[in-house]
Amino acid sequence: MAWHNTWTLTRKDLAEFRHQKLVLGSIIAMPLVLGVIMPLFMFYPLTSLAPTQPTWDVTGLQEYGTLPDTFTAPYTNHTQMNTQAHATTITNTTLIHMTLTNCVLISCIIQDSTLTNSTVAYSVLTESSCVDTILTTSQGTNLSGRHIIADHSDLTFIAIKPSETQLVFPTILNLILIIFIIIPATLPTIIASYSIVGEKNNRSLEPLLATPITDGELLTGKIFSSLIPSMGSTLLAFTLGVSLLDILLLPKIAMPLLPNLTWLLSMLVLAPTACLMSILGCIIVSSKVSDVRAAQQVGGFIVMPVVVLMLGVLSGFILLSPLTVLAFTGIYLGIDLVLFYFAKAIFNREEILTKWK
Amino acid sequence: MITCTGLSKHFGSIHAIDDFTVDIPTGQIFGLLGPNGAGKTTTMRMLCCLLRPTKGTAHIDSYDITKLADAHKIRGMIGFLPEVPGLYETLGAYQNLDYYAQFYNVPKPQRQESIKKTLDDLDLWNRRSEPVGGFSKGMKQKIAIARALIHDPPYLFLDEPTASLDPQAAKLVRDYILDLKTQGTTILINTHNLTEAERICDQVALIKNTLIKVGNPKHLEHSIFARTIAVTVDHIPPTLPQTITSLPGVTLNKIQDTTLYLSVKNPSDDNPRIIDWLSSQGIKITFITEEEHTLEDVYLKLLGTPQGG
Ligand SMILES: Nc1ncnc2c1ncn2[C@@H]1O[C@H](COP(=O)(O)OP(=O)(O)OP(=O)(O)O)[C@@H](O)[C@H]1O
Ligand SMILES: [Mg+2]
Repeated sequence: MAWHNTWTLTRKDLAEFRHQKLVLGSIIAMPLVLGVIMPLFMFYPLTSLAPTQPTWDVTGLQEYGTLPDTFTAPYTNHTQMNTQAHATTITNTTLIHMTLTNCVLISCIIQDSTLTNSTVAYSVLTESSCVDTILTTSQGTNLSGRHIIADHSDLTFIAIKPSETQLVFPTILNLILIIFIIIPATLPTIIASYSIVGEKNNRSLEPLLATPITDGELLTGKIFSSLIPSMGSTLLAFTLGVSLLDILLLPKIAMPLLPNLTWLLSMLVLAPTACLMSILGCIIVSSKVSDVRAAQQVGGFIVMPVVVLMLGVLSGFILLSPLTVLAFTGIYLGIDLVLFYFAKAIFNREEILTKWK
Repeated sequence: MITCTGLSKHFGSIHAIDDFTVDIPTGQIFGLLGPNGAGKTTTMRMLCCLLRPTKGTAHIDSYDITKLADAHKIRGMIGFLPEVPGLYETLGAYQNLDYYAQFYNVPKPQRQESIKKTLDDLDLWNRRSEPVGGFSKGMKQKIAIARALIHDPPYLFLDEPTASLDPQAAKLVRDYILDLKTQGTTILINTHNLTEAERICDQVALIKNTLIKVGNPKHLEHSIFARTIAVTVDHIPPTLPQTITSLPGVTLNKIQDTTLYLSVKNPSDDNPRIIDWLSSQGIKITFITEEEHTLEDVYLKLLGTPQGG
């Protein structure tokens, strides 16, 4: 495999591509419209629903609350870390990085933990999150959470209370990220379909096939000449989109700036594999048909695995995290490899030259 | 050296070419002649390893066109002008040539020099950067020819190279081809231009879905047609058609005005005898020429006139 042949073909294709103003225009415009302009227009108005000042529904304790009957102390004078406790009464214990539900905590030191439906008394809490929790005669610093009922306590909070409106923003951001994965999977249907069918139609494939370029070099060259503009314009839109989110949207809703690891991995490893998948689909189809539109339509089916990811994320079935992104990258890469060998296996010079219809 | 042995290509029931067997020695210009659909393009495509023969094979040097590993070697040592130029229309002439030369690993300085020389020769250097899509048919053809030559291949396959060229450009290309021959390039040409084939080809093969006849154009003419001379005289006695039969080896083909058309077996013996005989009959010769047969005559005789099918 001579990479220089591959690269020559790619450069030739890109040089040709520069002259196709219409195709070039749509390749650049589509990611900008779908990934930047549309999301901003749709979601920017929602920011007005987000509270601009930190507000807490910390209310004074009306009654002492409901302590369970099992007010015993099985955990005493311990240091407990990284575990979960459910419906337990804990006294005189240092709790670090715990998940506590329906617990009663007395005279404890609680650090970096999550408390749900619990009652805390005579304790010191730091950097923890409390949901539906009653705090009494305690001291808390750097807390976050919702529905906290407090009495005789001295509490300081770091984060803004997530309101119901704010809870939709992570979903919206996921949606934007998914759009940025779908875009590079769609763009190649515009470019890649032309790459072989186009050469067939203007009869330049015949002299090209008479040069000492191998099937593998030809396919790889065609892959790069679709991958580079597709990923290029996607990355351009992504950079612009993320910058605008960071400037216009995220500070208003008090969310951390992007890109985070999930976003970076999605763009740098997942998107290229998705893009490759659709390029290979188009190449396979276009080496069998002589009609650009047919190649585009059939080639479009190959974005199915990306649609699966999208549906999974939108339905909440798949949580986007660095790990799931890497897992999907692995799956797509596997599909890519299979498709590449299939494309190479069915690439038949004679058939491409002689079956003009 | 190109050796075709029983080279055949069938497209379903269509036998584009059957059992084509010829040797093309290194350094020759070899013409493939035949009517439309005779299988010229198909044969050439097989030799360029673009189509696989249905039967038979061909070797270019020691490489076998049917072997996959050899095919790659063969592609590296041929230049190919297809029937349709197939240029990248949005790119300039220079770019078109430059990309092709890169597939053959021509180093950059050499590439630049040879593109400049070729485009200069073809009178296209000044228009090297314009998109070739705007070029005339003949200009495109010239660039496609240049593309086939740009890497100095030892074997050149040209499918109707002068088909869309004006007489001047056609001559330029012919001279080019003859020049390449002196450098030892082996050249296979498909053409319908019989005068051209006659002028530049060392050998021609007449084909019509199979090999009809192969040989040097002059030899072909002589092997098919007896030599004919045209003798213009001052008068023709009415008895001449009978009396001339006394000359052995001489046949009177026809009389037109005062010109006699005679076939002779052996010109060096028969011509002086004819002259002597005519003077002895008191007939004055005003003009005597050899009537030339052209490749066209050979072609039409062997492949039939259009009416004859
Ligand atoms: N791809 C193909 N599929 C089916 N038949 C074909 C194909 N290519 C050529 N043929 C047939 O093979 C025969 C020879 O065609 P070919 O193009 O070799 O002729 P040619 O001698 O080059 O003719 P021309 O002088 O018109 O260029 C024709 O009958 C043609 O229809
Ligand atoms: Mg032809």
